[in-house]
Amino acid sequence: MSATLLIAMLITMIGASTPILLAALGELVVEKSGVLNLGIEGMMLTGAVVGFAVTYTTGNPWLGITIAALAGAAVSMIFAFLTLSLSANQVATGLALTIFGTGFSALFGSEYTGKPLELFKSIFPASLAEDPYLRLIFGHSPLVYFSFFMVFAVWWFLSRTRAGLILRAVGENDVSAHSIGYSVIGIRYGAVAFGGAMAGVGGACFPLLLTPQWVEGLTAGRGWIALALVVFAAWRPLRLLAGAYLFGLIATMELYTQAAGGVFRIIAPEMWASLPYLATIGVLVIISLGRSANANAPACLGKPFEAGH
Amino acid sequence: MSGETQARLEMAGITKRFPGVLANDDVSFAIKPGEIHALLGENGAGKSTLVKMIYGIMRPDAGEMFWNGAPLKASSPKAARRLGIGMVFQHFSLFEALTVLENIALGMDGGLSSRALEAKVREVLNAYELSLDPHRVVSTLSVGERQRIEIVRALLLNPKLLIMDEPTSVLTPQEVTQLFKTLRQLASEGCSILYISHKLNEIKELCDTATILRGGRVVDECDPKQETSKSMAEKMIGGDLKAVAKGTERTFGEVQLAVNNLSLGRGHAFGTALKDISFSVHGGEILGIAGVAGNGQNELLAALSGEQHAEADGVIELCGRPIGTSEPSTRRKAGLCAVPEERHGHAAVPDYSLADNGILTARHRRELVRAGLIKNSASHDFADEIIAEFGVMATGSKATAGSLSGGNLQKFIMGREILQTPEVLVISQPTWGVDAGAAAFIHQALVDMAAAGSAIVIISQDLDELLALSDTLSVINEGKLSAPMAVENASIEEIGLLMGGVHGEPSLATKPEASHAVQV
Amino acid sequence: MQFRFEKRAEPSRTMLYVTPVAAVLLTMVLGAIIFTIIGYDGIGAVREIFFTPLTNSLKWQDLAVKAAPPLIIGGGLSIGYRANVWNIGAEGQYIVGGLAATGVALLTQDMSGWWILPLMGIAGIAGGMAYVAVPAFLRVRLKVNEILTTLMLTYVAVNILNYLVFGPWKSPTSFGQPQTVAFNDSQSLPYIIEGTIVQAGAPIAIIVALVAWFVMSRTMFGFQVTTVGAAPKAAAYAGFSANKTILAVLFISGGLAGLAGMLEAAGPFGRMVPQFPSNYGFTAIIVAFLGRLHPIGVLFAGVVLAITFVGGEVAQTTIALPNPAVGIFQAMMLFLLLAGDVLVRYRIVRAGATGGREAI
Repeated sequence: MSATLLIAMLITMIGASTPILLAALGELVVEKSGVLNLGIEGMMLTGAVVGFAVTYTTGNPWLGITIAALAGAAVSMIFAFLTLSLSANQVATGLALTIFGTGFSALFGSEYTGKPLELFKSIFPASLAEDPYLRLIFGHSPLVYFSFFMVFAVWWFLSRTRAGLILRAVGENDVSAHSIGYSVIGIRYGAVAFGGAMAGVGGACFPLLLTPQWVEGLTAGRGWIALALVVFAAWRPLRLLAGAYLFGLIATMELYTQAAGGVFRIIAPEMWASLPYLATIGVLVIISLGRSANANAPACLGKPFEAGH
Repeated sequence: MSGETQARLEMAGITKRFPGVLANDDVSFAIKPGEIHALLGENGAGKSTLVKMIYGIMRPDAGEMFWNGAPLKASSPKAARRLGIGMVFQHFSLFEALTVLENIALGMDGGLSSRALEAKVREVLNAYELSLDPHRVVSTLSVGERQRIEIVRALLLNPKLLIMDEPTSVLTPQEVTQLFKTLRQLASEGCSILYISHKLNEIKELCDTATILRGGRVVDECDPKQETSKSMAEKMIGGDLKAVAKGTERTFGEVQLAVNNLSLGRGHAFGTALKDISFSVHGGEILGIAGVAGNGQNELLAALSGEQHAEADGVIELCGRPIGTSEPSTRRKAGLCAVPEERHGHAAVPDYSLADNGILTARHRRELVRAGLIKNSASHDFADEIIAEFGVMATGSKATAGSLSGGNLQKFIMGREILQTPEVLVISQPTWGVDAGAAAFIHQALVDMAAAGSAIVIISQDLDELLALSDTLSVINEGKLSAPMAVENASIEEIGLLMGGVHGEPSLATKPEASHAVQV
Repeated sequence: MQFRFEKRAEPSRTMLYVTPVAAVLLTMVLGAIIFTIIGYDGIGAVREIFFTPLTNSLKWQDLAVKAAPPLIIGGGLSIGYRANVWNIGAEGQYIVGGLAATGVALLTQDMSGWWILPLMGIAGIAGGMAYVAVPAFLRVRLKVNEILTTLMLTYVAVNILNYLVFGPWKSPTSFGQPQTVAFNDSQSLPYIIEGTIVQAGAPIAIIVALVAWFVMSRTMFGFQVTTVGAAPKAAAYAGFSANKTILAVLFISGGLAGLAGMLEAAGPFGRMVPQFPSNYGFTAIIVAFLGRLHPIGVLFAGVVLAITFVGGEVAQTTIALPNPAVGIFQAMMLFLLLAGDVLVRYRIVRAGATGGREAI
């Protein structure tokens, strides 16, 4: 395999990982605050259709991404209101959010089917991005750099800031945090909104970073894989980065094996397409085999907090 | 202002109402600077509600509070802390997965750097001779050490008033001594202390003044050093104390429950392993198992009830029959019933009707099920029988368990097990959080059951209760059970030492004499 | 005037039954408003989606056909959800059930006899159960969350389906169309009412609901399932094995999803095609919740969802409302139901009032 092909593969892999990474980073913060939002897929789809529509209409991908983030945050507020203010079941509400996002994106995306979109352009000079080797550093979409930055930002926030400490405390013991005087519900609203915005950006990556067209249901379960990744990463941002790239690699394999043909043809393309999902199950199994499977899980994850009533 | 000292905190006519309950009714009292003031009352007397209002967690419906003479406007715990009000909760507000220092930082409102905070923490630890490692993760600490975090957290704010809510309920006698030393030092520096408890001898030993609450009202204010424990107890409970009628000439039958070298690994990260536990209980005998919370009581109960299996069948014997690896249903059919400490969600399902809660454990012995089908009328009849015989205040067999008060639900659960007439009854914390009337009723029911020939094991943290009921007493500490002693020969000092695990703590030679003349 | 929530002493039975109905009614009102705002005929949409299928007798057969699969699947899911076991991959078990039945049909292509349909039914159930066996095993043995595993396997099931109909199972006479051969008469469900399109699915759905109701309300097994879900520690104390319960409810829900798959394959489809996944497995989740996880409630909820399905198709042709709009209506119903749940456990009181007499 030539070096340029390897670099091309790496760039594809990093691109394919980015939507999952962004959505999973958001969910990590949500879960650290003690909330389990199963609606990532729905928020990603919402972000994808809004990101597409705004970019297509205005020609400005920066605006598209920003509005996609706001849209993701906005639909996450439905979830937040139901689960945090009305103490609704988090699992059911998350599912409802996914069903909603699926319908919403299908309804508003249908008019964009077949319409071309330009990918998010590199922010570096073309010469740097086209150099066969420097591409690896400068040849990514701005969204990829944004995801790098967010991995660091989330890590720094959770482990180095007082606000991050408070957020972790709320996820660890909501009753105590409340009795000390922290607004459990308020902090969780903030976390859910952040998770929604990140999922919105993650969703917008599909048309703006991967394939510049509208396809119904284009996230294809990536939101659920993001959920599994958070468990895999044991709620640590840096491990999340590694996990997301592993999935990017598997997703990339599907593309390259089909192109490569030969020995890879023994396995049907449908089976290659199943690989990310089977790998997700495999990863969950491996995690659960470990001694301290969920030792790092926030103690209040998924439990409703009712002291406010 | 007049010549006498300005009260640090004054409560005037405080009233607080909850649905169906008047938690505080026109409560008034005052605390002077440097005073250790007891708030004495039973569970449910309204003590916790009162301090929650002082600390800004709740607001009174009527009445006023004054802080150094000015109206107290603590709208939140944060505001209260800013005024100099510190609080140590009965159930610690700690974060298991975080370090001591992180826990303390969360309780501080300022943005101190972690290094500056650590320096201040060490300063306080030295000043009050408290030992605590700021970098340990809380889940690895003992209960006493955890309380110290709370105290340090409060002391860092230079409090003018420190509220201690039932601080000793989870401490060993030795840890209590250490705590009292700290509190006296604080008071001598001018800090007022509001000490909430229902333990009479502690209040006599520590406090300058006591306000006694009953049913949400102030019934008396007194100097505890001038009172006897009995007189304060009568004010707290209202009416004369009724002792448990335990027959004097008690005879025991055959061994009905035998445990032989029971060892169990830790069930979960914060659990306690059981180490080589052996004991036996005869028909008619009540064995009391004392100990500080979290020393293996829950694990022992689970091993006896069948929720956890022993390593071998012969480890537990019921009337000579090995049952160590039997399922809970099998054990019940064979004659062993158990009641865990937690009522909601363990001993009973809150959302289920009382009839369904009867099916939960009595379906075999009371034949509430036939061929896999539930016998509806039989289960309602059984629930009604419990309600009638045990004086459960409930609207009927269709009422949900969650709608009952703690004491009534406990009476129902006790009734459910006792009416199955098991050969052996194992019960954890029979009167925890239960009002005095219900507690007396439950105690009498247990004694009567023993008199009828059942073997009973009571696991409790309430020493008074165990001393009143048991024939034999053992202490559980770090998963190990002490040798049984006849209750007439048991000394408080010895029990205290056993509860504290003997090792590590200083000699008890200086420990003040505690009298247990009163049984509540 | 300020309002706040106050916890009820016990859950309100009235609210338990009123809120699903209110959720459906409120969905119509809000749906009409929202769809009008975003530029559709909002009132027309509600009329066509919720009422036309009921008023137009030609659509009643459609209702019976569309209601059966989500009812059968929803009945199984509701039992599982009672036990707090979240099988959300019923769509995958439905597909595999359909594939297993198709496999039997392809093997018996040249045969006829009364025994073929029952055999396909058993294959469908077995297929659904086998497909849920992996998540079930992982859940009880390794505590792997069944939400993610069942859902991941749904995507895999779609790929298996595509692989088979594009590959080994493709009919040689289909002119390149990805589909299997058509099932013969012995492999197809009979019409139970002469001259209609109603097949065995509808009566089976009703039987499933009645059996489920009996099991959940009268038997010790139903009591066990509910207890494991409501209070796991109390269930262990009562002597109910959590693992056995989890396995049982997963196999029941998987088996019923597989049965629904067989009934669809041998019924409306009559062969296996790539369009076989119809989102019934996901709709069944809404059916289960809207039916309050109660078998008889599920029966009503299944009919409501079928109405929206049929009505969605009507609205597509009559007022050109895109089909995904139905999904939004369904999601709204679920949102509003979940929002209404708060009224089951809490009452609304005027701020400051505590007696509860002003309660709504």
